[in-house]
Amino acid sequence: MKIPLTFVLNNQETTLEIDSWQTLLEVLRNQGGMTSVHRSCEEGECGACTVLLNNEPVNACLVLAASVQGASVMTSEGLVKNATPHPLMKAFTDELGIQCGFCTPGMLMNAYALIQKAGDTVLTDAVIRKTLEGNLCRCTGYVNIVKSVKAAQKSKLAGEWW
Amino acid sequence: MPDTNGNRATMTTRPANNFIGSRAMPELVYHAPETMQALMDLIRTHGPSIKIVAGCTDFIPSVRTGRWRFDPELHVIDISKVTALNRIENQKDILKIGAGVTLTRILTSPEIQAFCPVLARAVEQMASLQVRNTATMGGNLCMASPAADTAPPLLVSDARVVIQDAQGETTVPVVDFFTGPGQSILTPGQVLTHTCIPKIRANESAGFRKIGTRTAVIISVVSAAVKIGMNNGVCENVRIALGSVAPTPLRLAEAEQFLTGKTLDDPVIEKCGKVAADAILPITDLRASADYRKDVAKTLVKRCIMDCREVLK
Repeated sequence: MKIPLTFVLNNQETTLEIDSWQTLLEVLRNQGGMTSVHRSCEEGECGACTVLLNNEPVNACLVLAASVQGASVMTSEGLVKNATPHPLMKAFTDELGIQCGFCTPGMLMNAYALIQKAGDTVLTDAVIRKTLEGNLCRCTGYVNIVKSVKAAQKSKLAGEWW
Repeated sequence: MPDTNGNRATMTTRPANNFIGSRAMPELVYHAPETMQALMDLIRTHGPSIKIVAGCTDFIPSVRTGRWRFDPELHVIDISKVTALNRIENQKDILKIGAGVTLTRILTSPEIQAFCPVLARAVEQMASLQVRNTATMGGNLCMASPAADTAPPLLVSDARVVIQDAQGETTVPVVDFFTGPGQSILTPGQVLTHTCIPKIRANESAGFRKIGTRTAVIISVVSAAVKIGMNNGVCENVRIALGSVAPTPLRLAEAEQFLTGKTLDDPVIEKCGKVAADAILPITDLRASADYRKDVAKTLVKRCIMDCREVLK
């Protein structure tokens, strides 16, 4: 059944025509054009499709698109401002937290929510690792990813953030 | 890959829907009622062709992998937006948790940390942050997996579930809720609305442990929960529960009786672990062998008792 879906996608009110059985992952990629939301395991193991739903990280593959009616969804495309990479993205490239890049958009969204919520509390390795436990990376290992998240929080505390 | 004739055969035989390696979702009608009245009306109107969901974190993979099949024109009724099912109510002697409350909210609730900390310990080790942000405890119970990690803490807490249907409400102890792997006492037309958990008392402590093949995002090989009350140095109101060792999560009456009236010294704890392991008949499956499960069950029961002892001494 085709239904209209109206929601806020990366701060813009958006209406898309969707099938009622589609997952948020499919709608974001196919109708929404947000191809940073990567499809991989499709059962909540890998986190490559992580997006923020009302500011909370969720696996887009496990959300029925019809259920986000009226909600706010953010993908890593939403981090980019005026074609400039977000300081969080810069931290991932500076600290080599990115290799093949497949897991990166999901990592970014989960890390973004973590840093936003942390406020002035400096994130420890343990907290970062616990938060990112649902995001698999098969290239770098996690050391550089943890470093990247820490560097990104430093940027935020230094006022380089949006 | 080109086949032996050099044609890209697989490209042309792939189904038109854009799924690779997994099945499409069935044609469905999605409903998200906001009141109990609207929910019960939908259940009545659409009769047998409904599926009640909350977080969908088990529903979607179950359909995708073909474990569940549905007829076309399935009515999916999402209870996660029903206001009355989205509360954690702190009542006099119990906590009443709505079926639409997410695992993250359970984990971060001060009431649950204070009055049923063992449930928070279990939820903390379930799935990932992303899944916990959408999955619900009601869903975990209704899936009735023998490995449901919220089951052992609820069993040792003497929790009850509230089930609603057209006739009204019934309350059932969690220990009577599960009937087999993936099966519960719920019948078509019924919906689990709340879980009621008696608050832990000052002289009681409860522990939870699980073992999987990794520490995150993993189905338990064995999970265990123990609750002990202490009265003049001896154990009372002992509850011991295990997950993943039987067709349903279960309580271990033999081990509970063994520990009742005893002091918590090392030989007693050792023996209690053995009594628990002797009472179960786990199966061998792709996650672990029966022998390993018995071994782990013994160790986890012992460690849970030790966790309680740390608090009670």
